[in-house]
Amino acid sequence: MTKRPRFGLYALVILSVVISFLPIIWLVLTSLKTTEGIYAWPPQYLPDPFTLKNYINIFTNSPELLLYVLNSFIVALGCTVVALSFGGMAGYALSRLGMRRAGVLMVFILAVSMFPPVSLLPSLFQTFLNLGLLNTYTGLIIAHTGLFLPFTVWMLASYFATLPPEIEEAARMDGMGFFRIFWSIVIPLSWPGFVATGLIVFIFSWNEFPLALVLMTQNAMRTAPVGISLYPGEYAFPWETISTATVIAIVPILIITAIFQKQIVGGLTAGAGK
Amino acid sequence: MTEVKLDRIGKSYGSVEAVQQFDLTIREGEFLVLLGPSGCGKSTTLRMIAGLESITKGDLMIGGTRMNDVDPKDRGVAMVFQNYALYPHKTVFDNMAMALKLQKVPAAEIQDRVGRTAELLGLTDYLHRKPAALSGGQRQRVAIGRAIVRTPDVFLFDEPLSNLDAKLRVKMRMELQELHDRLGATSVYVTHDQVEAMTLADRIVIMNGGVVAQVGTPREVYDRPADEFVAGFIGSPAMNFLDLMRDDTGRWITECGSLVLPSLPVDAGARRQVRLGVRPEHIAVTAGGQPQGDLDYQAEVLLDELLGADALLSLGVGKARLLARVGGTDHPVQGDRVAIALTAAQLHVFDADTGVALRD
Repeated sequence: MTKRPRFGLYALVILSVVISFLPIIWLVLTSLKTTEGIYAWPPQYLPDPFTLKNYINIFTNSPELLLYVLNSFIVALGCTVVALSFGGMAGYALSRLGMRRAGVLMVFILAVSMFPPVSLLPSLFQTFLNLGLLNTYTGLIIAHTGLFLPFTVWMLASYFATLPPEIEEAARMDGMGFFRIFWSIVIPLSWPGFVATGLIVFIFSWNEFPLALVLMTQNAMRTAPVGISLYPGEYAFPWETISTATVIAIVPILIITAIFQKQIVGGLTAGAGK
Repeated sequence: MTEVKLDRIGKSYGSVEAVQQFDLTIREGEFLVLLGPSGCGKSTTLRMIAGLESITKGDLMIGGTRMNDVDPKDRGVAMVFQNYALYPHKTVFDNMAMALKLQKVPAAEIQDRVGRTAELLGLTDYLHRKPAALSGGQRQRVAIGRAIVRTPDVFLFDEPLSNLDAKLRVKMRMELQELHDRLGATSVYVTHDQVEAMTLADRIVIMNGGVVAQVGTPREVYDRPADEFVAGFIGSPAMNFLDLMRDDTGRWITECGSLVLPSLPVDAGARRQVRLGVRPEHIAVTAGGQPQGDLDYQAEVLLDELLGADALLSLGVGKARLLARVGGTDHPVQGDRVAIALTAAQLHVFDADTGVALRD
């Protein structure tokens, strides 16, 4: 390791951060502009005049946005809880209980997740219609869980693989059964993995579009991405409303990520090195 | 106090035999050490006794009951792991109390038993700490305490001292010895460290490639190694080995002809070739003068290494090389001519092909 500051590396990092954040920054700036400011040519970089009118308007004119955010929150939370419960148990069984052909099963699970969700839509819609699951939280939670469970299993299985097996063996000698070992030893020791995985699943579900669009047909049940995308009116594209609504929809994710960021990094890099 | 009987126990993974025909009775209260290089099957054997590894062949009897298919917790065994394997999210007390809680022992009795064990191990002040707040030695003591608290019939130790630094290892080794004297429970201890094996064991089982090479007291395996592997494994630095050929006059000569033995201390039968083993501490080295031994040779010191109390000398006897251990004061140094003497009773002779020790 050199002690010399590596300017090239820093420049690269800053550049990539700017590039990935530019759309979001632009979005925030747009939400703070007037309609004239948005369409101005040459483009305005900083809002002039700076206005919070869009935020006030959206809460007074389209209160359903809060409903969309709430729907997204319920679905994402439900999906996260269900995916972590089943993914945790499946991942533990696959990585630790010495199952025969566990590797084959893991690959099979991964293969299933390779289907593009769109290809499942017609049959999924018909099934959900028959089961009366359209426009229900349960329905979309089930659909999202199905979509993200393979990822959850893989993430958690690889996290469990990093735990020293002797702790579980000691627990067996102490007289714990497999479920008890999982519950009172493995879960407490793996919570950084659970937090990181759960957060990613939460964000996936929050952002998921095609299934949410098709399975939630009533306006009151729409999730944030779907609801916001349906804002464009008949005659105009209300950029100020869309950008403002999007910023509002991003905020919950930002807050959660900020709270758990330490665990995310710890969970994602677990097992990467000693 | 319980006898453990391993009746021709074997373990295979597919076509690979990790342990073959392990046949041994561990006596009540005995401290048995399984010793061998890594991959020799000693840990697998221990884990089969513990119930963490299934037994492919043979019967495991603990206290007269067949235990092959019994759950680990019901075998009356407790295990101490190399990396402690404590529950990191639980306090020392909870770590030690876990097995008792699971057995539904009344809380007051748990308090009492954990308290007494903690006192025995000097852990009383640490009962409410988490393992992360303890030193390596303290952690291993908790791991030992967790085993003691259950009052098992058999203690199993899987290289319990390997993670400790050298100084602490010596201290904990002595503590383990005292503990065994006090509790008197049957113990099986796995290690690759021969000093641990020699100091702790009532009997040592030396394993090599999944097979038991020798079972014996520390004295026996040192004095009368069953084969070349045991002879080379026990003792530090390792035994010197020389190939000897018998010439037409019945003398035994090294290949290069530099060492000549008029006869062997054992009957070699019709063999024309054997391997001779000499421990470094059994080579008497005298600077200049004539030593009093059965077999005297002239040698040159090629290298001297001072260890402190002792020194190691690499000796050249003609083209043959021998390592000798001598006292650390006023020892011969590199370049000195010395006289060396071997004692016939301290020589070991092995079959050149099978490595089996030849005895009268």
